[in-house]
Amino acid sequence: MRTSPLRGKFAALGAAFNEQHGREIVTRVADRAAEYAAVRDAVGLTDFSFVQTFRVPEAKGMDFLDSLLAGNVPRIRFGRVLHTFLADEDGMLVGDCYVANNDQEFLFLCESIVPDQEILRVLQGCGMQEAGVEDMAGSYVLLGLDGPRAWEVVKEVFGADVLGLPYLSVEVYPFEGQSVYLFRAGKTGEFGYLLLAPVTVAEALFNKLHDLAQKSGGRCCGFEIHQDLRLEGRFFNIHAEGRRVRDPLVLGLQWMVDFDKENFRGAGAIKQRRADGGKQKIIGVAAAPGSRDLARDAKIFDQGQPVAEVVTDCFSYVLDRQIGLAVFPVELAYAGLTFQLGAPGGPPVNTISMPPIMPKSLKVKLDEV
Amino acid sequence: MLLLALMTSTQDIIRRRAQIISTFKEELIRRLNLPLTAQDIHEDVSLLGSGLGLDSLDALEIILCAEGCFKVKFPEDSMAHLRSINTIVDFVIAEQDKQGGQP
Repeated sequence: MRTSPLRGKFAALGAAFNEQHGREIVTRVADRAAEYAAVRDAVGLTDFSFVQTFRVPEAKGMDFLDSLLAGNVPRIRFGRVLHTFLADEDGMLVGDCYVANNDQEFLFLCESIVPDQEILRVLQGCGMQEAGVEDMAGSYVLLGLDGPRAWEVVKEVFGADVLGLPYLSVEVYPFEGQSVYLFRAGKTGEFGYLLLAPVTVAEALFNKLHDLAQKSGGRCCGFEIHQDLRLEGRFFNIHAEGRRVRDPLVLGLQWMVDFDKENFRGAGAIKQRRADGGKQKIIGVAAAPGSRDLARDAKIFDQGQPVAEVVTDCFSYVLDRQIGLAVFPVELAYAGLTFQLGAPGGPPVNTISMPPIMPKSLKVKLDEV
Repeated sequence: MLLLALMTSTQDIIRRRAQIISTFKEELIRRLNLPLTAQDIHEDVSLLGSGLGLDSLDALEIILCAEGCFKVKFPEDSMAHLRSINTIVDFVIAEQDKQGGQP
Protein backbone atom coordinates (compact mmCIF):
# COMPACT_ATOMS: atom_id res chain seq x y z
CA MET A 1 0.00 0.00 0.00
CA ARG A 2 1.30 3.48 -0.88
CA THR A 3 1.30 5.77 2.13
CA SER A 4 1.88 9.49 2.36
CA PRO A 5 5.30 10.74 3.50
CA LEU A 6 3.26 12.90 5.92
CA ARG A 7 1.41 9.96 7.46
CA GLY A 8 3.12 10.45 10.83
CA LYS A 9 2.12 14.10 10.99
CA PHE A 10 -1.55 13.34 10.40
CA ALA A 11 -1.50 10.28 12.69
CA ALA A 12 -0.16 12.52 15.49
CA LEU A 13 -3.24 14.71 15.04
CA GLY A 14 -5.49 11.68 15.53
CA ALA A 15 -6.38 11.24 11.86
CA ALA A 16 -8.35 8.27 10.55
CA PHE A 17 -7.05 6.49 7.46
CA ASN A 18 -8.59 4.35 4.78
CA GLU A 19 -7.26 2.33 1.85
CA GLN A 20 -8.49 2.87 -1.69
CA HIS A 21 -7.00 1.02 -4.65
CA GLY A 22 -3.75 0.42 -2.84
CA ARG A 23 -3.39 3.97 -1.60
CA GLU A 24 -3.78 5.13 1.97
CA ILE A 25 -5.94 8.23 2.34
CA VAL A 26 -6.36 10.52 5.34
CA THR A 27 -10.13 10.33 5.60
CA ARG A 28 -10.80 12.43 8.68
CA VAL A 29 -8.87 14.50 11.21
CA ALA A 30 -11.66 16.15 13.22
CA ASP A 31 -15.44 15.77 13.29
CA ARG A 32 -17.29 16.49 10.06
CA ALA A 33 -18.82 19.80 11.15
CA ALA A 34 -15.46 21.19 12.27
CA GLU A 35 -13.74 20.24 9.02
CA TYR A 36 -16.64 21.62 6.98
CA ALA A 37 -16.54 24.91 8.89
CA ALA A 38 -12.77 25.15 8.42
CA VAL A 39 -13.08 25.06 4.63
CA ARG A 40 -16.27 27.11 4.27
CA ASP A 41 -15.30 29.79 6.83
CA ALA A 42 -11.49 29.80 7.11
CA VAL A 43 -8.98 27.33 5.64
CA GLY A 44 -8.56 23.56 5.57
CA LEU A 45 -5.19 21.84 5.12
CA THR A 46 -5.50 18.44 3.45
CA ASP A 47 -3.06 15.75 2.36
CA PHE A 48 -3.70 14.89 -1.31
CA SER A 49 -0.52 12.82 -1.68
CA PHE A 50 -2.66 9.85 -2.77
CA VAL A 51 -3.06 11.61 -6.14
CA GLN A 52 -0.59 10.26 -8.71
CA THR A 53 1.86 12.90 -9.92
CA PHE A 54 4.20 12.84 -12.91
CA ARG A 55 6.74 15.18 -14.46
CA VAL A 56 6.69 15.09 -18.25
CA PRO A 57 9.39 16.82 -20.36
CA GLU A 58 7.72 19.18 -22.81
CA ALA A 59 9.65 18.21 -25.94
CA LYS A 60 8.80 14.51 -25.85
CA GLY A 61 5.86 14.58 -23.52
CA MET A 62 3.37 16.84 -25.24
CA ASP A 63 2.26 14.28 -27.82
CA PHE A 64 2.29 11.56 -25.17
CA LEU A 65 -0.13 13.46 -22.92
CA ASP A 66 -2.22 14.65 -25.83
CA SER A 67 -2.74 11.12 -27.13
CA LEU A 68 -3.77 10.01 -23.65
CA LEU A 69 -6.11 12.72 -22.37
CA ALA A 70 -9.45 14.09 -23.62
CA GLY A 71 -8.39 17.75 -23.42
CA ASN A 72 -6.07 19.63 -25.76
CA VAL A 73 -2.60 19.57 -24.19
CA PRO A 74 -0.69 21.61 -26.83
CA ARG A 75 -3.10 24.50 -26.26
CA ILE A 76 -2.23 24.84 -22.56
CA ARG A 77 -0.54 28.20 -22.23
CA PHE A 78 2.61 28.60 -20.15
CA GLY A 79 1.73 28.79 -16.48
CA ARG A 80 -1.79 27.48 -16.95
CA VAL A 81 -3.50 24.25 -15.91
CA LEU A 82 -5.88 22.12 -17.96
CA HIS A 83 -8.62 20.18 -16.17
CA THR A 84 -9.46 17.07 -18.17
CA PHE A 85 -9.88 13.30 -17.79
CA LEU A 86 -8.35 9.97 -18.65
CA ALA A 87 -10.72 7.36 -20.06
CA ASP A 88 -10.40 3.68 -20.85
CA GLU A 89 -10.75 2.28 -24.38
CA ASP A 90 -14.55 2.15 -23.91
CA GLY A 91 -14.59 5.87 -23.18
CA MET A 92 -15.41 5.35 -19.51
CA LEU A 93 -13.71 7.45 -16.84
CA VAL A 94 -10.53 6.26 -15.16
CA GLY A 95 -8.93 9.45 -13.87
CA ASP A 96 -9.72 13.10 -13.14
CA CYS A 97 -6.63 15.02 -14.25
CA TYR A 98 -4.82 18.32 -14.06
CA VAL A 99 -2.07 19.05 -16.59
CA ALA A 100 0.10 22.09 -15.88
CA ASN A 101 2.38 23.73 -18.43
CA ASN A 102 5.50 24.80 -16.56
CA ASP A 103 7.73 25.96 -19.43
CA GLN A 104 10.03 23.02 -20.26
CA GLU A 105 7.86 20.46 -18.51
CA PHE A 106 4.31 19.40 -17.87
CA LEU A 107 3.09 18.34 -14.47
CA PHE A 108 0.43 15.65 -14.68
CA LEU A 109 -1.79 15.04 -11.63
CA CYS A 110 -4.16 12.08 -11.83
CA GLU A 111 -6.84 11.28 -9.26
CA SER A 112 -7.99 7.83 -10.32
CA ILE A 113 -10.38 5.03 -9.41
CA VAL A 114 -7.94 2.26 -10.25
CA PRO A 115 -4.66 1.17 -8.58
CA ASP A 116 -1.41 3.04 -9.30
CA GLN A 117 -0.09 0.02 -11.20
CA GLU A 118 -3.00 0.12 -13.63
CA ILE A 119 -2.39 3.80 -14.44
CA LEU A 120 1.29 3.06 -14.88
CA ARG A 121 0.43 0.18 -17.22
CA VAL A 122 -1.70 2.54 -19.33
CA LEU A 123 1.05 5.18 -19.42
CA GLN A 124 3.68 2.58 -20.31
CA GLY A 125 1.45 1.30 -23.11
CA CYS A 126 1.30 4.84 -24.51
CA GLY A 127 5.09 5.36 -24.48
CA MET A 128 5.79 6.62 -20.96
CA GLN A 129 9.47 5.63 -21.08
CA GLU A 130 10.13 7.08 -24.53
CA ALA A 131 8.49 10.33 -23.43
CA GLY A 132 10.79 10.53 -20.40
CA VAL A 133 7.96 10.59 -17.87
CA GLU A 134 9.06 10.69 -14.22
CA ASP A 135 6.77 9.22 -11.56
CA MET A 136 6.93 11.63 -8.60
CA ALA A 137 5.21 9.27 -6.15
CA GLY A 138 7.21 8.93 -2.95
CA SER A 139 9.53 11.82 -3.75
CA TYR A 140 6.88 14.58 -3.57
CA VAL A 141 3.89 15.36 -1.38
CA LEU A 142 0.72 17.10 -2.50
CA LEU A 143 -0.96 19.35 0.06
CA GLY A 144 -4.21 21.24 -0.43
CA LEU A 145 -5.29 24.54 1.12
CA ASP A 146 -8.95 25.43 0.63
CA GLY A 147 -11.14 28.13 2.10
CA PRO A 148 -11.96 31.83 1.97
CA ARG A 149 -8.78 32.52 3.97
CA ALA A 150 -6.49 30.07 2.12
CA TRP A 151 -4.89 33.00 0.31
CA GLU A 152 -3.63 34.40 3.64
CA VAL A 153 -1.62 31.24 4.26
CA VAL A 154 0.01 31.00 0.82
CA LYS A 155 0.71 34.73 0.83
CA GLU A 156 2.53 34.41 4.15
CA VAL A 157 4.65 31.53 2.83
CA PHE A 158 5.40 32.66 -0.74
CA GLY A 159 4.67 36.40 -0.81
CA ALA A 160 1.96 38.73 -2.12
CA ASP A 161 2.72 37.64 -5.68
CA VAL A 162 0.46 34.58 -5.18
CA LEU A 163 -2.61 36.83 -5.02
CA GLY A 164 -2.27 37.51 -8.74
CA LEU A 165 -2.50 33.84 -9.73
CA PRO A 166 -5.65 33.14 -11.73
CA TYR A 167 -7.71 30.00 -11.17
CA LEU A 168 -6.10 26.99 -12.90
CA SER A 169 -2.56 28.28 -13.01
CA VAL A 170 0.80 27.11 -11.70
CA GLU A 171 3.89 28.89 -10.42
CA VAL A 172 7.14 27.74 -8.79
CA TYR A 173 8.26 29.23 -5.47
CA PRO A 174 11.35 28.57 -3.36
CA PHE A 175 10.93 27.02 0.08
CA GLU A 176 13.96 26.18 2.22
CA GLY A 177 16.17 25.88 -0.84
CA GLN A 178 13.77 23.65 -2.77
CA SER A 179 11.25 24.41 -5.52
CA VAL A 180 7.58 24.04 -4.64
CA TYR A 181 4.95 23.98 -7.37
CA LEU A 182 1.94 26.05 -6.36
CA PHE A 183 -1.26 25.29 -8.26
CA ARG A 184 -4.17 27.68 -7.99
CA ALA A 185 -6.80 24.97 -8.20
CA GLY A 186 -9.38 23.37 -6.01
CA LYS A 187 -12.75 21.69 -6.04
CA THR A 188 -14.69 23.26 -3.21
CA GLY A 189 -15.80 26.61 -4.68
CA GLU A 190 -13.56 28.42 -2.16
CA PHE A 191 -10.02 29.67 -2.82
CA GLY A 192 -7.97 26.57 -3.46
CA TYR A 193 -4.26 25.85 -3.75
CA LEU A 194 -2.31 22.64 -4.27
CA LEU A 195 1.32 22.55 -3.19
CA LEU A 196 3.52 19.92 -4.81
CA ALA A 197 6.67 19.81 -2.70
CA PRO A 198 9.79 17.62 -2.54
CA VAL A 199 9.60 15.15 0.32
CA THR A 200 12.84 16.63 1.77
CA VAL A 201 10.92 19.78 2.81
CA ALA A 202 7.51 18.15 3.27
CA GLU A 203 7.48 18.17 7.07
CA ALA A 204 8.81 21.73 7.32
CA LEU A 205 6.22 22.92 4.81
CA PHE A 206 3.43 21.05 6.55
CA ASN A 207 4.42 22.54 9.93
CA LYS A 208 4.44 26.04 8.51
CA LEU A 209 1.12 25.65 6.69
CA HIS A 210 -0.53 24.03 9.70
CA ASP A 211 0.65 26.79 12.00
CA LEU A 212 -0.54 29.52 9.64
CA ALA A 213 -3.84 27.76 8.92
CA GLN A 214 -4.57 27.61 12.65
CA LYS A 215 -3.76 31.31 12.99
CA SER A 216 -6.32 31.96 10.23
CA GLY A 217 -8.95 29.98 12.12
CA GLY A 218 -8.47 26.80 10.10
CA ARG A 219 -7.35 23.25 10.72
CA CYS A 220 -6.23 20.00 9.12
CA CYS A 221 -8.93 18.09 7.26
CA GLY A 222 -9.38 14.63 5.83
CA PHE A 223 -10.38 13.82 2.27
CA GLU A 224 -13.88 12.67 3.25
CA ILE A 225 -15.14 16.21 3.80
CA HIS A 226 -13.89 17.16 0.33
CA GLN A 227 -16.30 14.65 -1.16
CA ASP A 228 -19.17 16.65 0.39
CA LEU A 229 -17.61 20.01 -0.48
CA ARG A 230 -17.20 18.95 -4.11
CA LEU A 231 -20.85 18.01 -4.34
CA GLU A 232 -22.01 21.21 -2.66
CA GLY A 233 -19.80 23.28 -5.00
CA ARG A 234 -20.86 21.07 -7.96
CA PHE A 235 -17.32 20.08 -8.78
CA PHE A 236 -16.90 16.74 -10.46
CA ASN A 237 -15.91 13.99 -8.01
CA ILE A 238 -14.45 10.91 -9.63
CA HIS A 239 -14.71 9.00 -6.34
CA ALA A 240 -18.49 9.54 -6.09
CA GLU A 241 -20.59 10.16 -9.22
CA GLY A 242 -17.54 9.48 -11.41
CA ARG A 243 -17.02 5.98 -10.08
CA ARG A 244 -20.74 5.24 -10.14
CA VAL A 245 -21.69 6.60 -13.58
CA ARG A 246 -18.35 6.59 -15.43
CA ASP A 247 -19.76 7.92 -18.72
CA PRO A 248 -18.35 11.49 -19.11
CA LEU A 249 -21.27 12.51 -21.34
CA VAL A 250 -23.93 11.54 -18.78
CA LEU A 251 -21.85 13.38 -16.18
CA GLY A 252 -21.81 16.57 -18.26
CA LEU A 253 -18.02 16.60 -18.68
CA GLN A 254 -18.06 17.55 -22.38
CA TRP A 255 -16.25 20.76 -21.42
CA MET A 256 -13.20 18.63 -20.57
CA VAL A 257 -13.06 17.18 -24.09
CA ASP A 258 -11.63 18.60 -27.29
CA PHE A 259 -13.95 16.92 -29.79
CA ASP A 260 -11.83 18.23 -32.69
CA LYS A 261 -8.92 16.07 -31.58
CA GLU A 262 -8.63 13.03 -33.79
CA ASN A 263 -7.49 10.69 -31.11
CA PHE A 264 -7.23 10.23 -27.40
CA ARG A 265 -7.85 7.26 -25.18
CA GLY A 266 -11.50 6.26 -25.54
CA ALA A 267 -12.14 8.89 -28.24
CA GLY A 268 -13.96 6.54 -30.61
CA ALA A 269 -16.46 5.33 -28.02
CA ILE A 270 -17.08 8.82 -26.60
CA LYS A 271 -17.60 10.37 -30.03
CA GLN A 272 -19.94 7.55 -31.04
CA ARG A 273 -22.09 8.02 -27.92
CA ARG A 274 -22.13 11.76 -28.55
CA ALA A 275 -23.28 11.20 -32.13
CA ASP A 276 -25.99 8.80 -30.92
CA GLY A 277 -27.37 11.51 -28.60
CA GLY A 278 -27.57 11.42 -24.82
CA LYS A 279 -30.40 9.59 -23.12
CA GLN A 280 -29.45 10.31 -19.52
CA LYS A 281 -28.16 13.30 -17.63
CA ILE A 282 -26.98 13.94 -14.09
CA ILE A 283 -28.65 16.80 -12.20
CA GLY A 284 -28.89 18.13 -8.67
CA VAL A 285 -31.59 17.09 -6.21
CA ALA A 286 -32.55 18.26 -2.73
CA ALA A 287 -34.74 16.76 -0.04
CA ALA A 288 -37.06 18.69 2.24
CA PRO A 289 -35.40 20.10 5.38
CA GLY A 290 -35.22 17.44 8.07
CA SER A 291 -35.59 14.54 5.64
CA ARG A 292 -32.82 11.95 5.64
CA ASP A 293 -34.31 9.80 2.85
CA LEU A 294 -32.16 11.22 0.06
CA ALA A 295 -29.24 8.81 -0.09
CA ARG A 296 -27.14 7.07 -2.70
CA ASP A 297 -29.01 4.31 -4.59
CA ALA A 298 -32.43 5.73 -3.68
CA LYS A 299 -34.90 5.58 -6.56
CA ILE A 300 -36.85 8.65 -7.66
CA PHE A 301 -40.42 8.17 -8.84
CA ASP A 302 -42.66 10.10 -11.23
CA GLN A 303 -46.33 9.17 -11.56
CA GLY A 304 -45.72 5.85 -9.86
CA GLN A 305 -42.78 4.85 -12.06
CA PRO A 306 -39.07 4.86 -11.15
CA VAL A 307 -37.38 7.44 -13.38
CA ALA A 308 -34.07 8.24 -11.73
CA GLU A 309 -31.52 7.11 -9.18
CA VAL A 310 -29.45 9.05 -6.66
CA VAL A 311 -25.73 8.46 -7.29
CA THR A 312 -24.19 10.59 -4.54
CA ASP A 313 -25.44 12.60 -1.57
CA CYS A 314 -24.33 14.71 1.36
CA PHE A 315 -25.73 16.97 4.04
CA SER A 316 -25.27 20.65 3.24
CA TYR A 317 -24.82 22.74 6.37
CA VAL A 318 -25.34 25.90 4.33
CA LEU A 319 -28.69 24.71 2.95
CA ASP A 320 -29.58 22.70 6.07
CA ARG A 321 -30.79 19.77 4.01
CA GLN A 322 -29.68 16.65 2.21
CA ILE A 323 -28.58 17.24 -1.39
CA GLY A 324 -27.38 14.91 -4.10
CA LEU A 325 -26.93 14.15 -7.76
CA ALA A 326 -29.25 11.82 -9.64
CA VAL A 327 -29.24 10.40 -13.16
CA PHE A 328 -32.47 11.28 -15.00
CA PRO A 329 -33.71 10.65 -18.53
CA VAL A 330 -32.85 13.82 -20.49
CA GLU A 331 -36.52 14.74 -21.00
CA LEU A 332 -36.97 15.09 -17.21
CA ALA A 333 -33.53 16.49 -16.39
CA TYR A 334 -34.59 20.03 -15.50
CA ALA A 335 -34.32 22.03 -12.30
CA GLY A 336 -37.51 23.13 -10.60
CA LEU A 337 -39.45 19.84 -10.68
CA THR A 338 -40.83 17.77 -7.82
CA PHE A 339 -40.74 13.97 -7.72
CA GLN A 340 -41.20 11.31 -5.06
CA LEU A 341 -38.33 9.70 -3.25
CA GLY A 342 -37.95 5.99 -2.51
CA ALA A 343 -41.43 4.86 -3.57
CA PRO A 344 -44.56 6.07 -5.37
CA GLY A 345 -46.13 8.55 -2.96
CA GLY A 346 -42.84 8.88 -1.07
CA PRO A 347 -41.53 12.16 0.37
CA PRO A 348 -40.92 14.96 -2.13
CA VAL A 349 -37.54 15.48 -3.78
CA ASN A 350 -36.84 18.56 -5.88
CA THR A 351 -34.51 18.92 -8.82
CA ILE A 352 -32.33 21.97 -8.24
CA SER A 353 -29.92 24.29 -10.00
CA MET A 354 -26.30 23.64 -9.13
CA PRO A 355 -24.16 24.82 -7.51
CA PRO A 356 -26.76 25.49 -4.81
CA ILE A 357 -24.55 27.63 -2.57
CA MET A 358 -22.66 30.90 -2.93
CA PRO A 359 -19.14 30.29 -1.56
CA LYS A 360 -17.76 33.01 0.72
CA SER A 361 -14.61 33.21 -1.43
CA LEU A 362 -16.62 34.66 -4.32
CA LYS A 363 -17.25 37.73 -2.20
CA VAL A 364 -13.54 38.26 -1.46
CA LYS A 365 -11.75 40.54 -3.91
CA LEU A 366 -8.07 39.60 -3.78
CA ASP A 367 -7.02 42.73 -5.68
CA GLU A 368 -8.45 44.81 -2.84
CA VAL A 369 -6.98 42.98 0.17
CA MET B 1 -58.37 16.23 -12.49
CA LEU B 2 -55.72 17.18 -9.92
CA LEU B 3 -53.30 14.65 -11.38
CA LEU B 4 -53.91 16.05 -14.84
CA ALA B 5 -53.30 19.56 -13.55
CA LEU B 6 -50.04 18.49 -11.90
CA MET B 7 -48.91 16.73 -15.08
CA THR B 8 -49.64 19.83 -17.12
CA SER B 9 -47.80 21.93 -14.59
CA THR B 10 -44.68 19.72 -14.78
CA GLN B 11 -44.73 19.77 -18.56
CA ASP B 12 -45.23 23.54 -18.54
CA ILE B 13 -42.25 24.01 -16.25
CA ILE B 14 -40.12 21.80 -18.49
CA ARG B 15 -41.26 23.55 -21.68
CA ARG B 16 -40.62 27.03 -20.32
CA ARG B 17 -37.25 26.16 -18.87
CA ALA B 18 -36.13 24.21 -21.96
CA GLN B 19 -36.98 27.16 -24.18
CA ILE B 20 -35.01 29.65 -22.07
CA ILE B 21 -32.04 27.28 -21.85
CA SER B 22 -32.03 26.63 -25.58
CA THR B 23 -32.23 30.33 -26.50
CA PHE B 24 -29.53 31.27 -24.01
CA LYS B 25 -27.11 28.50 -24.96
CA GLU B 26 -27.36 29.19 -28.70
CA GLU B 27 -26.74 32.89 -28.14
CA LEU B 28 -23.88 32.23 -25.70
CA ILE B 29 -22.15 29.88 -28.14
CA ARG B 30 -22.52 32.46 -30.91
CA ARG B 31 -21.32 35.44 -28.87
CA LEU B 32 -18.39 33.70 -27.20
CA ASN B 33 -17.53 31.48 -30.16
CA LEU B 34 -17.53 28.40 -27.93
CA PRO B 35 -16.27 25.19 -29.57
CA LEU B 36 -19.25 23.19 -28.24
CA THR B 37 -22.80 22.41 -29.28
CA ALA B 38 -25.79 23.31 -27.08
CA GLN B 39 -26.14 19.63 -26.16
CA ASP B 40 -22.51 19.58 -25.00
CA ILE B 41 -23.07 22.29 -22.39
CA HIS B 42 -24.54 20.93 -19.18
CA GLU B 43 -26.72 23.52 -17.50
CA ASP B 44 -24.89 23.10 -14.18
CA VAL B 45 -21.40 23.49 -15.57
CA SER B 46 -19.48 26.35 -14.01
CA LEU B 47 -19.34 29.34 -16.36
CA LEU B 48 -16.38 31.16 -14.83
CA GLY B 49 -13.03 29.69 -13.78
CA SER B 50 -13.46 25.93 -14.01
CA GLY B 51 -15.96 24.40 -16.45
CA LEU B 52 -16.31 26.60 -19.50
CA GLY B 53 -13.32 28.55 -18.24
CA LEU B 54 -14.66 31.99 -19.08
CA ASP B 55 -13.06 35.12 -17.61
CA SER B 56 -14.31 38.40 -16.17
CA LEU B 57 -14.66 39.98 -19.64
CA ASP B 58 -16.78 37.02 -20.70
CA ALA B 59 -18.89 37.53 -17.56
CA LEU B 60 -19.97 40.90 -18.92
CA GLU B 61 -20.82 39.27 -22.25
CA ILE B 62 -22.88 36.61 -20.44
CA ILE B 63 -24.89 39.30 -18.66
CA LEU B 64 -25.45 41.25 -21.89
CA CYS B 65 -26.43 38.01 -23.61
CA ALA B 66 -29.06 37.14 -20.99
CA GLU B 67 -30.34 40.73 -20.77
CA GLY B 68 -30.62 40.91 -24.56
CA CYS B 69 -32.35 37.56 -24.92
CA PHE B 70 -34.87 37.91 -22.11
CA LYS B 71 -35.32 41.66 -21.51
CA VAL B 72 -34.28 41.42 -17.88
CA LYS B 73 -31.81 43.57 -15.93
CA PHE B 74 -29.11 41.96 -13.79
CA PRO B 75 -28.15 43.72 -10.53
CA GLU B 76 -24.71 45.32 -10.26
CA ASP B 77 -23.29 42.45 -8.21
CA SER B 78 -24.48 39.49 -10.26
CA MET B 79 -21.87 36.94 -9.21
CA ALA B 80 -24.41 34.76 -7.44
CA HIS B 81 -26.45 34.41 -10.63
CA LEU B 82 -23.45 33.72 -12.87
CA ARG B 83 -22.44 30.42 -11.28
CA SER B 84 -24.01 28.29 -14.02
CA ILE B 85 -26.56 28.42 -16.84
CA ASN B 86 -29.15 27.01 -14.45
CA THR B 87 -28.61 29.80 -11.90
CA ILE B 88 -28.94 32.37 -14.70
CA VAL B 89 -32.15 30.70 -15.88
CA ASP B 90 -33.49 30.78 -12.30
CA PHE B 91 -32.89 34.54 -12.24
CA VAL B 92 -34.51 35.06 -15.66
CA ILE B 93 -37.61 33.07 -14.63
CA ALA B 94 -37.90 34.98 -11.35
CA GLU B 95 -37.58 38.32 -13.15
CA GLN B 96 -40.10 37.35 -15.83
CA ASP B 97 -42.55 36.28 -13.11
CA LYS B 98 -42.06 39.64 -11.36
CA GLN B 99 -42.83 41.38 -14.65
CA GLY B 100 -46.09 39.47 -14.90
CA GLY B 101 -45.32 36.20 -16.59
CA GLN B 102 -43.54 34.89 -19.65
CA PRO B 103 -42.71 37.29 -22.51
